[in-house]
Amino acid sequence: MRTRDVFGYSFSAIKLRKLRAALTMIGIVIGIAAIIALLSLTQGESVTITHSFEQGLSANTLVVTGQNTPLYANYTDQIMAIPSVSQDITATIPIIQQAGYLTNSSGTTMKVTLIGINFTEAEQAFPTNFASASGTIPLNPPSNAIIVGAKIGNLNSNGTIFVNAGDQLKVTTQVPIVNETYMGNVTAVFAPIGGVNFAGPSDIGVYIPINQAQAYFGTNQLSEIIVQLKSSSNGTVTTVSKAISNYFNGQVNIESATAIINTITSALSTVSAVIAGIAGISLLVAGVSIMNIMIVSMVERTREIGILKALGMKSRTVLSAFLCESAIVGLIGTLVGIGVGWGVANLYAALVNHRSQLVQVNGAAVNLAPILTPEVVILALAFGIGVSILFAMWPAWRASKLNVVEALRYE
Amino acid sequence: MSRLVVKAEGLKKTFLLGRVPVEALRGINLTVEAGEFVSILGPSGSGKSTLLNLIGALDQPTSGTLLINGVEVSKLSDNQLTDLRSRIGFVFQFYNLIPRLTARDNVELAMSIVNVGKDERSKRAKELLETVGLKDRMNHKPAELSGGQQQRVAIARALANQPNFLLMDEPTGNIDSHTAQEIVSLIKQVNANGVTIIMVTHDQHLAKQAQRAIEIFDGLITKNEVNHLED
Repeated sequence: MRTRDVFGYSFSAIKLRKLRAALTMIGIVIGIAAIIALLSLTQGESVTITHSFEQGLSANTLVVTGQNTPLYANYTDQIMAIPSVSQDITATIPIIQQAGYLTNSSGTTMKVTLIGINFTEAEQAFPTNFASASGTIPLNPPSNAIIVGAKIGNLNSNGTIFVNAGDQLKVTTQVPIVNETYMGNVTAVFAPIGGVNFAGPSDIGVYIPINQAQAYFGTNQLSEIIVQLKSSSNGTVTTVSKAISNYFNGQVNIESATAIINTITSALSTVSAVIAGIAGISLLVAGVSIMNIMIVSMVERTREIGILKALGMKSRTVLSAFLCESAIVGLIGTLVGIGVGWGVANLYAALVNHRSQLVQVNGAAVNLAPILTPEVVILALAFGIGVSILFAMWPAWRASKLNVVEALRYE
Repeated sequence: MSRLVVKAEGLKKTFLLGRVPVEALRGINLTVEAGEFVSILGPSGSGKSTLLNLIGALDQPTSGTLLINGVEVSKLSDNQLTDLRSRIGFVFQFYNLIPRLTARDNVELAMSIVNVGKDERSKRAKELLETVGLKDRMNHKPAELSGGQQQRVAIARALANQPNFLLMDEPTGNIDSHTAQEIVSLIKQVNANGVTIIMVTHDQHLAKQAQRAIEIFDGLITKNEVNHLED
């Protein structure tokens, strides 16, 4: 029997029991839709997060923080001088930061992180992002100079102006003296940077000269040291991280954007694998239901199989006709599942994006876009049709092995 | 010299009913020549359907030799038996049409099984259904046809692959006597066109209309004689 005729015969059998075929398909649709939705969302999420990090910070930066020991100002020079890696480091920038409050001329107060940094060094290290949109970044800043990120100037980018370059802000801190204040001068407001910021300039950053921070916060200890590397390659990042860690006998923490992205990506892929596995279980259940239906179909059509064999249909053609029937159900189910999964993923992403416009994460609006790669589509098709054929094999084999005389006698 | 379509010698078939062996055929010797119209008559349980199943390559004998178109059946594999069956036309008592297919599709299905192209089988199905008098009922499903009409479709289907011979198992067993006579006339017409016919029946009157009547009882042939036909 020709392949086209086998296909036609199988299709006519499905057409006869449309409802049953549709109900059988639901299992496949749910399984495939779950897999597609989850994989496309996690893939999209992974890209979004990586992109956010890349946008917020060049990957050629390490952040050194104290683990058990305080960080001192002279550590910056020590890091620069570590013999094995000194040629890989372009700059080390000390940072002192602490929580505080800003109050504008109309009396609005907001909680911020006050970051003490050397403006000149920061400008050299981050020429693109440590750049003003209005006002100027002073080379020799007076102690009351303040530079704010785009979302401090223009609150949450929604049009509410908190402060402009040239305005005064009251700075308040709780440590070491409760409610100690001074009047600051906003010398510049950054242009929007975007992304999730790991180190360096950010849209919600409030920057004061490092000398002022030392005096105001009453400390010489650094919160962190930003180490800028010549290259963002994994090799350089790893080598320099290890060298710094060894130099300080493991007493410091070293984080890199690359490491964070890798951790997040690997966590996401683990989560997606686990969830896809759970979705896979629903496919297995669908497979069992296909087997059940195919057995029922075989029993119902015992006599028909007898007739076909009496007319000269070979056992292997009976086998392929049954497998073809199941494969058609699997194919349609998978195609519908891919569509439904893609729809669900987009709907979910739209909801998340809508919510994130209202509640912004770390100052950056998440823009989640599900990604459906051809590999995932092929995987889904292979899995959907594969499960359908696999579970139809036994019933199909039994059908093909039916004894003609007994099958013809079957009532 | 005429060609032998069927040659059986010492043909035996034993079934197991639980653990009890039952001898359905106990040594059948039989020859059927090309172009003959042979009836096999016998009461229920006499072994006539078992014999027909063996001749139709639906089953294999327990012992003895059976040559169909000169081929020894007991030596054939499952696939070869299937091939052989596609050159034999079957007509069953309960028609055995595929209910979801139209009369025409039922006839075409038999041809598609042996790889006849779409145009060819469509043309041939139409011709055959016209021959059996169902020109206007081609696109009806079995449930929309009377018993006699369904049996005509079954005959058209049996003839679809231009078989060497037709095997009929009680072809009129399920239809009224008037329609039965029409079916018999059709069978004679088919036979007149050169197709060998072996028909199992328990109807004496029907059996007498064949050129030769074989009577079978308790798994053995008890009578094998030429009928003196009235017409």
